[in-house]
This record gives sequence, structure tokens and C-alpha cells, in this order.
Amino acid sequence: MIECPTCRHQEFVGTLYCSECATRLVHTAPIGSVDELIETEAIVGDDGLPTTRGLAVGALFGLRLLETGDMVSLVGRDNFTLGRAGGGQAIVPDVDLDAFGAQDQGISRLHAEIRLDKEGVHVVDLDSVNGTLINGKRIEPQQPRRLRNKDIIQLGRLRLQLISRLRS
Amino acid sequence: MTQGLDFYTLLGVPRSASVKEIRRAYREAALRLHPDKNTGPGDTELFLKVNKAYEILSDMDQRAAYDQDLASHEAVLVTRSSFKATVVQSRRRLLQLDEPQVHYLLLDIEPNADLPAIRPPINLALVLDRSTSMRGARLDQLRSAVLKILQETSREDSTSIVTFSDRAELVVSPDQAREMSVARARLSLIQAGGGTEIGQGLRTGLNELEKYLSREGINHLILFTDGRTYGDENECLEIADYCAEHGITIHSVGIGNDFSDRLLDDLASRTGGSTAFLDTPQAIVSVMEGIHESLGRTVATRLRLEGAVAQQVDLRSSFRLLPEPMPMGDSLPMHLGNLPRDGVVRVLLEIVIHPIGKITELLLAHFTIDGDVLGVGSESVALPLQVRIPVSTEPDTEPPAEQITAALGQISLYRLQEKARHEAELGQSAQAARRLENLATQLLANGERELAKAALNEADRLVHSRRLSNEGEKVLKYGTRALLLPARTGDS
Repeated sequence: MIECPTCRHQEFVGTLYCSECATRLVHTAPIGSVDELIETEAIVGDDGLPTTRGLAVGALFGLRLLETGDMVSLVGRDNFTLGRAGGGQAIVPDVDLDAFGAQDQGISRLHAEIRLDKEGVHVVDLDSVNGTLINGKRIEPQQPRRLRNKDIIQLGRLRLQLISRLRS
Repeated sequence: MTQGLDFYTLLGVPRSASVKEIRRAYREAALRLHPDKNTGPGDTELFLKVNKAYEILSDMDQRAAYDQDLASHEAVLVTRSSFKATVVQSRRRLLQLDEPQVHYLLLDIEPNADLPAIRPPINLALVLDRSTSMRGARLDQLRSAVLKILQETSREDSTSIVTFSDRAELVVSPDQAREMSVARARLSLIQAGGGTEIGQGLRTGLNELEKYLSREGINHLILFTDGRTYGDENECLEIADYCAEHGITIHSVGIGNDFSDRLLDDLASRTGGSTAFLDTPQAIVSVMEGIHESLGRTVATRLRLEGAVAQQVDLRSSFRLLPEPMPMGDSLPMHLGNLPRDGVVRVLLEIVIHPIGKITELLLAHFTIDGDVLGVGSESVALPLQVRIPVSTEPDTEPPAEQITAALGQISLYRLQEKARHEAELGQSAQAARRLENLATQLLANGERELAKAALNEADRLVHSRRLSNEGEKVLKYGTRALLLPARTGDS
């Protein structure tokens, strides 16, 4: 059996979407070659062997808050909505940035989404009030934009950096 | 090559079997079938065949030659078939597991290029609801839709117009339909009034279709209703099953918020048809024209997926994705409806594989794809289709095919909606509301603002009144189903 990372529901091996909450399940097929596609900071070991494939084998993939250095890990799924979960509202983002002062930073409840697929990592602005910027450039809402390692994503005023590398 | 089983199937070994495996399989078969031991009818013959199979397969050179023969023989069979099929699997290999695992098969069925390119004659019954609630715009739009269809029919077509309320009547016979002025006059006589007895309408429609039943053409029934039938649901479903057996497809169209979507879905899916939901009567004309136009592009009817899945395998669910999204049953044979000339019928099958031991390959299913090719004197040749998969201890690390994940993602949203509705009916309104909120979040992330709003409205309604609205149920069901339409997924 495998377990859904969102709702802990048990599913048979091979299931692609949780039957309880429709979360995309990534297991026997780990997010895989994504790190190759987004030009990872290749850390070659002392033995000179190339980097191991796959995020399931100790790789680090997430967003680092530039102000505080906190790391938000993005593992176990292939899409993550970013936003803030205000009290008593129905919509809960996958990554809740409330702990980082999201409200004051002008982050919408459902601000943006990070998508991982065969073509790489993309960010989509979900018609947020204050918009999303990549490396200082504003992006069009609902248009997926490809991300590279170390790109700076700005949601409202909050700045996050995409980090993808092997854990040392 | 002899008809019947190939040597591998005869011995029960995979095509990739080693000499050792073949020898073991032969010994078992030989012990079982030896003439000294066994006197069952045909056993000696089988014993000789098994001997022959072992003789060939245990010799490297002879086996290679045989493999080549077998491949070309099967290639000929496949090219002679009226159909082409491809299967994409969600994983390239299964795991040797002592627990069940889930696997998905995406099956595409296309017509072979040499099938006759004709516009088939259409034997059509339009079964129209004329209950009180149809009065006004709904009936007016239906009349103009019918007139449009009649203008596009050819002399070979037979079109019958049936109306029903508490009972059914034939309003326009095929002969009358060929004279526009007569048809127009007859249609203007339709009066709204009475209840909704769908079974009556279906039976009268079916009687008409059977009078003009054509083996070279299409036999189709389109049901238009805005209401609920009471007490004759089972009779309706029996008629649908009868239609499926006799090559008649049912298309059901529900108008407004009060029709019984479950019955309409069930009627359509049993026959391989589909269901449309219209929230305004203005859409009636274009929907009717769309259905009629697609009938004219049909190259084979009564398309079926037959055969069986392996003993270790269960078919858990199936969903037709093309030409129109429709949840189908979980048993074989499966009626898939009409095969379009320039298109494809695509079905996603979800299967559960029970614990499998240390085997290296599993024959998942042995399907046969069959249908009735249209056109005078056309013989259809069924297509045999074996689906196999390697089994190993190493998981497949490649991500599954994009087509499969995309379709399953949309189907899982459709299923969330189904679950929420089921929970609401059981009185678990808090749980159902949470599910709809989750659905809304995911819809919003997909850019489906209208549908997300509808889901949130219904979640809100559940909290306050503990019930879903009739309208919301339909908007969410057909809205999430429509996410699978080609235009949405970017697939041709």
C-alpha cells in the first residue's frame, strides 16, 4: 500500500491519484528526472560520479525564503499551490506562507502554483492581487513560466528562491 | 500456420520464456496429457501438438524460424482486421508484490484505412418529452431542431418522431418525414401537457427503429427530456440493454435542472452512447445538429470490447475519453458506441492486479475488438489484442505517459464530485462540503473559475441547508466531465 501525502489515505501500489482528495501520487515513479531538466546545481562527489537521479534519493527541492533563509520543501507531489490559509476560509493552499507574514507581504489566498512535469518546473500566477515576479520581471497570470534553479520568485513582496540540489 | 493456439500459449509460457521454463512447462503438460494416463476426447491430439511445440521451441534454430513465422502470421491477421488498436500502459513493468496493485491501460481504437468511405443511412428515432414543463421555449426549440435535422436527411434515412408524456405517440413517421410540409404540419400539432413516462417513449421509439432496422446503416435513438420518470426506471434500463444487444445506440439529452441524470447516464452508457446536459433551451438546436452530424461520420457501429482479463486481474472501472467522455461499466463485453471515420475511440481502463508471485511476465488481458462495419457487403474482421507486461522486482522509475496522468487527473476531479454527492445523500454534509471545497481549490488552480465557484456555492449550501441543489449537482457533474473534452486537454 502507499499513503497519500495530503490526506494519509491508503491506496494500492500503482495508483496515480488519491481517491479521497485527488492528490497526484508520485511513488514508484518519483518526480524523477526533473532535477536534470532544470539545470540543477550539479554536485559531483569526490569520486567524480555524476549526480544521482531522482528526488526520492536524498535530493533537496524547495523554496528558500530570502529574508529568513527558511526552507520550504516541495516533495511528494507534482504540483503545489502557494498562498495563505486565512482563518475560516474554504480554500487552503498546499504551501501556507502565513507563518512568513504572508498577509503583510501582500500574498493572495491562492497566489501561485508550482508545477513539476517532464518539461521541467513551472510557476503559474493564479490571478493574484499583487502579482508574481520572476527575477524581478512580472509574469502574466495563468501563463506557466519555466523556472531554473536559483530563480527568484516574488509573490507580492515575499521573495523566494528555487533550490534544487542534492543533499550533502 | 495452424489455426488456434500458438505454441507458447499451448504450453502456457511467455514468448520470452527460457529453454528451462519451456522444458518444465512441457513436462507438466506431457504428464497431464500422456496417452497412457489420459483418455479424454482430443487429449491425444493435444499431446501430439504439445510434443511438436516442445520439439520446435527447444531447438534454438527452429524456434527462431517459428518466431518469425508467428510474427508475420499475426501481422497479417492484424492488417486484415477492420480495426487498429494501440495500448499505452501506466507502467512499463509491474512489481513482484504480495499485495494488490493498480494499473491503467489507455486503449485507442481506430478504423482501418480501407474501410468504405460512405455516408451510412441513418435509422433515427427522436423521442421527445412533451410533459407540461416542456411548454414554451423548450418545445419550440425542439421543433426547430427537428425541422433542421429533417432538412439534412437523405432519401435512404428513416426518421421517426415520437413524443411522450403519460403515454407515447408517433407524431411523424419516416414516410411523413420525407415530405417537409407534412412533417411541419404534424410537428405543429405537438402540445405540452401531462407527466414524464420515459419508458413509454423509449418503447415506442424502439418499435419504430425495429421496423426499419438496417444492417448497413446506423440505428440510433435520441431521447430529450426535462423531467424524472417514476416507477419505470427498470423498464427503461431493460430497453437500453435490448438496444445494446441489437446494435441501437441511445443518446440522452437532459434539459434544465430537474431531469434524472443518473438514469440518462445509465441508459446511454449501457448502449455506448452519451449524455448531454443543456442548462438553456437555446442550445437544443446545436446539440441535435452535432449529434446528427456525428452519426453521418460513422464508419462502424456496435463497437465492442470483448474477451477477458487474466485470472489475477480485475477490471475496476473504465472511462471512455473519446469521442465523448462517458463513464462506462466495469464488465466485459463493453459497448463503446460508434466509431468515427476520422477519429478514435479512446478508453481508459483501471485494473487491479492481485498478488503475483515470482513471474517475469503477466498476460493482463486477451481482448477482441469487434464492431459492425457499415456499407453494403462489408464484412467486419475482429481484432485480437493481447496485453502483456513484464514483472520485476525493480520499480519502473519513468513517469507514466502524459495522456494517462492528464486524463486521470480530470477523472479524479469528476470522482470527487461523485463522492461529495454520495456523501450528501447519506447525510454526511460536513464531509461532503469539505470535499467540494477541496474540489474548488483544485479547479481554481486549473483556471476553472466558474466551476470552482459552483463547487464553493454548493459547499456553502451543504453547510446551511445540508443539501445540494439540483442545478449544482448537474453543473458539477457535467462540468467536471467536460474537462475531459479534447479542447480542454489539448489533445486532438
